[in-house]
Amino acid sequence: METINISLPALSLVFLLLALPVILSRAYNLGVIKPLLSSVARMSVQLLLIGVFLKYLFFWNNAVLNLAWLVIMILVAVFSAIRGSAMKPGKIFLPVFASFALTTLSILFYLNFFVIRINDVFDARYLIVLGGMLLGNSLRGNIVGIDTFYRSIRKDTKKYLYVLSLGATQSEAARPYIQESVRLALKPTLASMATIGIVALPGMMTGVILGGATPEVAIKYQLMIMIAIVVSTLFSVLLTILMTSHICFTKFGTLRGDVFIN
Amino acid sequence: MIEYKQISLNFGFKTIFKNFSLGIRRGEKVVIRGTSGLGKSSLFALALGFILPQSGHVLFDRLPLNEDSVWDIRRKVAFVDQDVSIGNYKIADWFALVSGFEANRSLDFSNKTIKELLDFFELSPDTLEKGASDLSGGERQRAALLVSVLLKRDVFFLDEATSALDKNLKRKVATFFTGRADWTVLSISHDPVWLDSPSVRVFDLEATEWKQ
Repeated sequence: METINISLPALSLVFLLLALPVILSRAYNLGVIKPLLSSVARMSVQLLLIGVFLKYLFFWNNAVLNLAWLVIMILVAVFSAIRGSAMKPGKIFLPVFASFALTTLSILFYLNFFVIRINDVFDARYLIVLGGMLLGNSLRGNIVGIDTFYRSIRKDTKKYLYVLSLGATQSEAARPYIQESVRLALKPTLASMATIGIVALPGMMTGVILGGATPEVAIKYQLMIMIAIVVSTLFSVLLTILMTSHICFTKFGTLRGDVFIN
Repeated sequence: MIEYKQISLNFGFKTIFKNFSLGIRRGEKVVIRGTSGLGKSSLFALALGFILPQSGHVLFDRLPLNEDSVWDIRRKVAFVDQDVSIGNYKIADWFALVSGFEANRSLDFSNKTIKELLDFFELSPDTLEKGASDLSGGERQRAALLVSVLLKRDVFFLDEATSALDKNLKRKVATFFTGRADWTVLSISHDPVWLDSPSVRVFDLEATEWKQ
């Protein structure tokens, strides 16, 4: 069973749908025309380019190229995560990259090797598509987690220092903040896990079903990807906090001022 | 036992200390006075390694405070911070957190000991079940003083630790901390009760000299 292709003239009918919000925005003076159209334009260009790019990537299906593209995806995720925090990119880039790369690669290879059992673990269709889903879905959790950790210690400086004076080691003093960060980071994923399938058919399932697979297969893939997302979010938040701690704290256990913006 | 040697400290463009020196001997009871903004609290922060001076250094038991020694020094000093920063912890949970630190495992945080100290500081037993933010300023201060005693340390840094107590309690607490010969006590306070004990010395940070 093949997915029915959408012809180009048919696709233009999708864009015609946009006339609706434009008319509504005019009528009610919502002021969303400009941001809407510019976002749609950006998305279209990006998807067009990535479509062409993926077409060749899938066509060549070269292990080195696939891996290189995955690394670029990780780099972009790292920059988004750092940009979402109050930290200076130059200072924490390496530890965040190491943490994201280690998490994503190890979980991907685990899935490809042991769960899906494909012969070529570097196969673009699995490596890049699953990698993208993992990175994309754990990214928000990561941003929340890393940002919460440093922001709350900074906000709570007095309490944090007081705890150090009470005899805590640096990791003992940081522990409540790690707990809070991980809890917040996992919250959206856990919430969506609890309602999945009832409220929303997630993107992975939609894709697999449209791709011609049966709902059973789609559900197995969905289970796999959701568990992988939770695990990779938890793992990468923890790893990122541990790895950036060496840079963001002084040997005296205090936060360094110069790793933060402003 | 605590020596500040030619400390210079700036926050941005603001000079807090310039070539500041001060020595405190073991067993001394010192009250530090001076208007706000002079850096009274910074003296404590410097000796606990929370801030580092631009120049000069701090000696503790003749050893320089550095990234290795600071962890031991922090475990020798019982610090009561001005705002009693406990956050929203329930008091019993706060005590449990503190007693759970590796360095404090061998300390006596038993119900009996805590009960005795609650009595001494005139706190009711149900204080333990309350959240820190539900306590009054004075109750929070006493809870922090109680913890400082539980830590069984013999150096005390008390930053405005009696400011929210009533007059009788102020006297009781000041007498308690100044009465032990082996305790070294540094108290930042404007409360005159601290001056009652004849053994107390007073350091005026504004004039940077001993007044009593």
